[in-house]
Amino acid sequence: MARVALFDPCYLGALRPTDAFHAKRVLEALGDEVTLIDGRCCGQPAYNSGFRGEAKRVSLSLLREARHHDVVVTASGSCTSMVTHFVPGLFEGTKREGAARIAGRFREFTAYVAGHPNLDRLALMLEGTVVYHDSCHMRNELGGTDTVLGLLAKVELLEVRRLAHEAECCGFGGAFTVKLPEVAAVMMTAKLDDIAASGAKVVVSADFSCLAHLESGARGTGQRMETWTVAELLARALG
Amino acid sequence: MTTYHERAAREIATEHPSRTVTPIMRKLVDDSRAMLRRSPADAKTRAAAARADAIGRLEELHAQVRANFERRGIGYHRAETPGDAVRIIRGLLGDAKRVAKSKSMVGEEVGLTHALRDAGIDLLETDIGEYIVDIEGRGPSHITAPAVHLNRTRIRELLARGGADIPDDDPVRLSRYVRDVVGAFFEDCDAGITGANAVVARSGRLMVIENEGNVSLGASHPKLHIVITGLEKVVADEAGALAILEVLAPSATAQPLTSFSHFLADPAPGQQRHVVFVDNGRSAIAAGKYHDVLRCIRCGACMNACPVYRAAGGLSYGAPYMGPIGAVIAPLLWKDGRYADLPLASSLCGRCTEVCPVGIPLHRMLLDLRADAVAAGQTGSRVERLAWQAWSLTFEGAMRARAASALGRIGLNGGGRFVRAQGTANDPRVLPRAGAPERDAANLVAEPPRQPAAVIAPEEIEPADLAELFRMRAAALGVTLLDAYEAREGDRVVHATAAIAATGSVLLLGEAAARRPLLGAQRVVVHLDPATIVRYPSGLAEYLGDVDALILTGASRTADIEKQIVRGIHGSEELAVVLPRVAP
Repeated sequence: MARVALFDPCYLGALRPTDAFHAKRVLEALGDEVTLIDGRCCGQPAYNSGFRGEAKRVSLSLLREARHHDVVVTASGSCTSMVTHFVPGLFEGTKREGAARIAGRFREFTAYVAGHPNLDRLALMLEGTVVYHDSCHMRNELGGTDTVLGLLAKVELLEVRRLAHEAECCGFGGAFTVKLPEVAAVMMTAKLDDIAASGAKVVVSADFSCLAHLESGARGTGQRMETWTVAELLARALG
Repeated sequence: MTTYHERAAREIATEHPSRTVTPIMRKLVDDSRAMLRRSPADAKTRAAAARADAIGRLEELHAQVRANFERRGIGYHRAETPGDAVRIIRGLLGDAKRVAKSKSMVGEEVGLTHALRDAGIDLLETDIGEYIVDIEGRGPSHITAPAVHLNRTRIRELLARGGADIPDDDPVRLSRYVRDVVGAFFEDCDAGITGANAVVARSGRLMVIENEGNVSLGASHPKLHIVITGLEKVVADEAGALAILEVLAPSATAQPLTSFSHFLADPAPGQQRHVVFVDNGRSAIAAGKYHDVLRCIRCGACMNACPVYRAAGGLSYGAPYMGPIGAVIAPLLWKDGRYADLPLASSLCGRCTEVCPVGIPLHRMLLDLRADAVAAGQTGSRVERLAWQAWSLTFEGAMRARAASALGRIGLNGGGRFVRAQGTANDPRVLPRAGAPERDAANLVAEPPRQPAAVIAPEEIEPADLAELFRMRAAALGVTLLDAYEAREGDRVVHATAAIAATGSVLLLGEAAARRPLLGAQRVVVHLDPATIVRYPSGLAEYLGDVDALILTGASRTADIEKQIVRGIHGSEELAVVLPRVAP
């Protein structure tokens, strides 16, 4: 039994507060003891907008919270990538080393679960069909696509479909969506078309940010679609 | 000056670039990936190393280039600014009045075409795509496919505006119309201007690649050939140049190699050849933290793969360079802030970095450039700055952040917080029923898996024998393979020094490489000794010698109109290789 912290990223806490509960359930089913870190942000929104001072201030607050834990499971590929790849670079000298040390304890949720020694003890079963949306951070920054798909394959009776242009961005990109909404909408429409063509009515991804973006688009066009994080799917599959 | 946002919103609303560009680019990216899989496994690594090496010792290599140019009688010129480049070229042109120009991105960068026309020179853009966008007057929308934003109907309208009477919009007819106009211009002009893809320091040769044959004509202009290129385009040796060749055409256009890969050496008797290297801030970039961007070989793979480029098109960038590479290099070349918002034209998905054949971390650079622009006060309004400050103070403390999250939740989701599709039961284990996937829909061809499949398609099994592989690849390019030569009127018969099996190419040296006789022939017939066939372009290093060289890969062609291939632009449609079958 491991003691882990579960980092519930700011946007997830705001947009889908139930998700941390799903992730916690899965981790506990694996036998872990879970402490929640919430009300924190990795700093990515400001970082991606070019405001590094502000990003540093916010990420420092997260690192301070995280330093008490050996493992920080993060239910977002995007936030994990920010913390592990970019946050240490915001600091100088020995502070950078310290930041890198703490950042190195962050584990993306699906990677953590897939590598968990007790994974095979879970009886994962869920009958139905979903389509997998590969987020850019999972694919290009963390290289975790195969890991997620491997994890989904462990769920009995579940059919996982793949999108036609899986490697294409859905058009979220944080501040990008706000600053260039017309461009983001073209990208989103293409992704929604692929989702519709897949026939599946549930979209699953390791990044809720993409899903929130797609869901808002689907609401606008009246497309019938549910969006689940991998954590939610696994929690449902626990029974 | 408008912002990227304004330009992109207008393009999307009025031109719908995605409709034309996305299907083309989806196919191109898939085909490029497949073509690169045919290259040696270390091709990208060698190309990246050759470029990184050159950037690390630019001045040393330029000293070598200068010495070799002197030996060959090629003029060496350096332009600090775009204005200098234009002045130097005007001076070199002397009293030349009619000038044939082929594609050059550095030419776009310095505004060469407009500047020379303003000076009273009758300049013709001789690349088919450039000719078309020149009539349109909005500039190229892609660095290797300038007219990719235009469909055939639009192109026919534009050519009609230029005086053409073409009965329909068949790309073959449209392409050949431009070919004839360009061909006639070449009959009577005073100079040719081309770009260069690499300048080899060790030998002082210029590597230039093209498909149509217009560079062949410009470079072999009997009196004057001027080359304009970037200061960073030097490469140490032939091995480095060949390493670039191995990834350039596959990444750019999913071809094994372009029709013509020139290694231009001494000017012909009576001909003057000059090379103008444009600095325009490159020396400063080489000395700074973005030096890796100078590795760029201008293949355009980053824009082909970029979802933002596809959605808003290349003209939205409003800069000579577009796509991810444009968003990185434009703000570095023009320091006045006019392109400071281009790095925001990215969702940071990372596809650009993934496909770049020379390992430029493009999306990371976009992130850094965003921070630079904010620090320099070039982007980020006062309101935005205050908003981020307020945000950071809020999220610094968990209590305030939780309160903000709760407010955000109410604001963002209102009453319908969890929009659940109808028909879903409350039981979390019951999923909505799925429909059948549309497997046959045109846009639903599944992407190939990221890892190469274990089972190769039968046509992809490479014959072990190099001559057999050469036959297979050359035939795929439309090359006629002959066991023995039977003379025909109008043949240009030459002997190949070597050949490349994987690309179906032949290497011609010295007199055999003379461009105008090759282009003027009814049919080009190349005799090939099977013992001289190498597997990959890199194998040619020992055959290249020190003289004028030309690698021919299929007949001249263009794909400037909707990426549809039209063969036989300048030069014969028929390329035949005589390759005797050796009894086993």
